[in-house]
Amino acid sequence: MIAAFAAVLRKDLMLEARGGQSTVALVALSLLVLVVLVFAFDPGGGAQGRAAAAGALWVALVFSGMLGATRAIAAEHENGCMRALLLSPLDRAALYAAKLAAAFIFMALAEAAAIVLMVLFFNLQFDARTLRVAPAVMLGALGFAALATLLAGISSRVRGGDLILPLLAVPMFVPALIAGVKASAMALGGAPLAELATWLKVLAAFDVAFVAAGYLLFEYVALEE
Amino acid sequence: MSAAPIEARALGKSYGVSPVLRDVTFSVEAGQGVAIVGANGAGKSTLIRLLAGLAAPSSGAALLLGAPARTLAPALRRRVGLLSHQSMLYPNLTARENLEFFAALHGVDNPAAAAREWLERVALGAAADMRARGLSRGMEQRLALARALIARPDVLMLDEPFAALDAEGAATASTLVGEAMARGCAVLASAHFADTLAQLGFAVRLLSRGRLVPPEHCGPPQSVVRPAAVRQVS
Repeated sequence: MIAAFAAVLRKDLMLEARGGQSTVALVALSLLVLVVLVFAFDPGGGAQGRAAAAGALWVALVFSGMLGATRAIAAEHENGCMRALLLSPLDRAALYAAKLAAAFIFMALAEAAAIVLMVLFFNLQFDARTLRVAPAVMLGALGFAALATLLAGISSRVRGGDLILPLLAVPMFVPALIAGVKASAMALGGAPLAELATWLKVLAAFDVAFVAAGYLLFEYVALEE
Repeated sequence: MSAAPIEARALGKSYGVSPVLRDVTFSVEAGQGVAIVGANGAGKSTLIRLLAGLAAPSSGAALLLGAPARTLAPALRRRVGLLSHQSMLYPNLTARENLEFFAALHGVDNPAAAAREWLERVALGAAADMRARGLSRGMEQRLALARALIARPDVLMLDEPFAALDAEGAATASTLVGEAMARGCAVLASAHFADTLAQLGFAVRLLSRGRLVPPEHCGPPQSVVRPAAVRQVS
């Protein structure tokens, strides 16, 4: 199972390194979201500015996450490759894990770029406070990748799937979104990690729940009618 | 008595109220080949999808190696090969990378060596480092056949195996399919015309409007091989 997981993940990373379309698209989308929101909020400094920055960062995460998960699954439907994967001895849970890992890696790269853009556009500082945002963002990226990968398995096979994914994913992500924005705003305000623990635990619990759900359910959503 | 490697038992499939397959029953024994011929829309591809476990039957059972195709265990899926009307190849991977990937998934020892061997066998050695999206349709079909055979399956399902192949490609494909049958592989193929498959010793069955036509209603063998000449049986 581990060998098969590694083979699928290696294939996805190889394809991305060769084309780079997903990562570039995610970074570009994050940039677009941040630019729009910085003009929409016109934040000043202080707590209001930090809260706006944290919110903008997480909006970028949600949009880039949907795009990343959709592309990770859609790539398998080109030329019917998903059928070949389902016919292979590949454990369906291992397939989910590999697609989740690929989506997470692409999202993590995009979010790292988004954090840099956030600091620039919202007039923040590159210091320890910026680094303290990273745990919340990475936990959020993992949770959203888990959720979106599972739902993308459904949306990729139905008419209007592009609409279904955000309609399903965003409401289900709200608890983690609230926790992530709170943790990020507190981190940007200089709060130590210990004070962020409650919100980080919410994010971790969300991750556990949806990674487990995807691991158990992906087999059923991946199979055709 | 062990079950036939490929078996359809009163297999039916409907999409909404439209039946695509109705009460299809047949089996393919080890080392045997069965060709399903029929017109466009007869249900040939749907039949193969059901037997490959890629779709759930509306009625009846689709069995591979004695087990339901839809819930086949990984150890049994390792023994199944499929050539679909879609190539099931990654466009941005090279021919070699595609074969190595699928060989690795199927647990083939030394995927790199297996990929080299099968690229030569389908006459694609010179195109090994060409991306799949750059291959011609015929080359893609040969590569897809290599992908289906690289793990030396015990069950092989071929949907239009000679589509887009030139004479040389068709001869190569015939040789490889014949070799698979000779080593005991059960082969099910679908085609519009089954001339080449009949020459390989395939038993030819006619699928008409979702039903397998009983052999006694099919007329002489030549009319089944070329079903356009067969009087349609409703």
